[in-house]
Amino acid sequence: MVPILDLHSVLERVRRDVERNALRARNGIRLATGARPGIGCTPKDVVWRRGRTELWHYCNDDVRVTPPLLIVFSLISRSYILDLSPGNSFVERLLRSGFDVWLLDWGVPDERDAQNRLEDYVDAYLPAGITRILELTGRDEVNLLGYCFGGDLALLHAAHHPGSPLRSLTVMATPVDFRYLGPLADVFGVGGLDVADVLDADGNVPPQVVLQGFRTLKPTSQVTRYVDLWERLWNDEYVAAYQAMTAWSDDHVPFPGAAAEETVRMLVRDNGFVTDRLTVGGDRVHLADVRCPFLTVLAKRDHIVPEAAAAPVIELVGAPDKHELRLDAGHIGLVVGKTAARTTLPTIIDFLQRRSEVSA
Amino acid sequence: MAPSPPLWRRLYDTAERAVAPRLETLVRTKHFARGTALATQAQATARAQVAALSARAWHLVNLPTGTDVARLRVQIGALDREVRRLALRLEQEQAHTGERPEGKESDGTDTRPP
Repeated sequence: MVPILDLHSVLERVRRDVERNALRARNGIRLATGARPGIGCTPKDVVWRRGRTELWHYCNDDVRVTPPLLIVFSLISRSYILDLSPGNSFVERLLRSGFDVWLLDWGVPDERDAQNRLEDYVDAYLPAGITRILELTGRDEVNLLGYCFGGDLALLHAAHHPGSPLRSLTVMATPVDFRYLGPLADVFGVGGLDVADVLDADGNVPPQVVLQGFRTLKPTSQVTRYVDLWERLWNDEYVAAYQAMTAWSDDHVPFPGAAAEETVRMLVRDNGFVTDRLTVGGDRVHLADVRCPFLTVLAKRDHIVPEAAAAPVIELVGAPDKHELRLDAGHIGLVVGKTAARTTLPTIIDFLQRRSEVSA
Repeated sequence: MAPSPPLWRRLYDTAERAVAPRLETLVRTKHFARGTALATQAQATARAQVAALSARAWHLVNLPTGTDVARLRVQIGALDREVRRLALRLEQEQAHTGERPEGKESDGTDTRPP
């Protein structure tokens, strides 16, 4: 009996390998020809635009939660990670839960943005976006949510404008203690590199520098991702997710030169959030002035914004109603994938709903 | 029960587990940060010298260089930023005083919904 069973299992294995190799060949051709799954597909309208900055309003015929929710994204990557693919989209989930979702997208900076400072985003674009939302909705408050460096912009805004009409502030994977940010910050902090040394001819930090900085965080990840891909190239679902994720992780945007210089000086070298040495538009700014209801979400396995870099924010803000959520996820896993669907999103939705009016 | 990964994968994982933590520790050292900063500064200096040499050559025949054009574009960009900031401030003022802002870009794009 034993030899027959072995023969069966060998045949089964050969059959599986042949099938998988055929699928590998098909998916390999798809990858090589650049056929990509749809990303950022949720319907939206551009309702306001200044320079490269756009305010997007996601279409939702079933708004049950007020006030509106404004998402602020990072300055160095593309916002479509929040709306990656149908069924795996942070925005889609918020819409399904009845939120009225708006997103401030910074676009792709060019030489016209090289002189943009943090105050441009914190004191000008963000308030203008909020004003436009209030005008269009007739509401008098918004819930503000910042992701990654977008969280820093949201924090600076809330601290510099305590009267800003914010019902609540949520930050996700947002660094405040830049000593723990890793090689990307160390090269400017400990290493003493000047931003001027990495500026492109257009006056901005080129996306390749940012990309290289992120790749340095996990030096073997580039090889591992191709090894993973080869192993699972037969799996359509994996290949679609791989394409969407790698398209995003390799797709950075230039960091406006003046804002980068200010970030290095104030946030990296002075570690301004922690040492309370923040200046925006010539004014001293204190996180203790953030008084609106506050939620911080951080990921325990985040290699881009390590837990230690994000954790102190809860102590620094002055809000009496403040909460922290630590999840067993990575940086991207907070908004994409199973952990996001199972834990992050329900918790954020619950937090926001408790601070909103929800109609049946 | 999921089938065990193929031999080549197990070999890779073993090697990766041995190498990755060491590399990740290395890139988080002060020496690495200083070394990267020095290498980047050296690259920037070399690039600047090559650009200066090439600029001298173009200027000899009274032609502008790419760097000249880039510098001009950045200067125009700075003006563009000032205009944008003023437009935003005006928009905010109008919103506070109850006047309807125009909602048009300098290129004429109307961003207002119908």
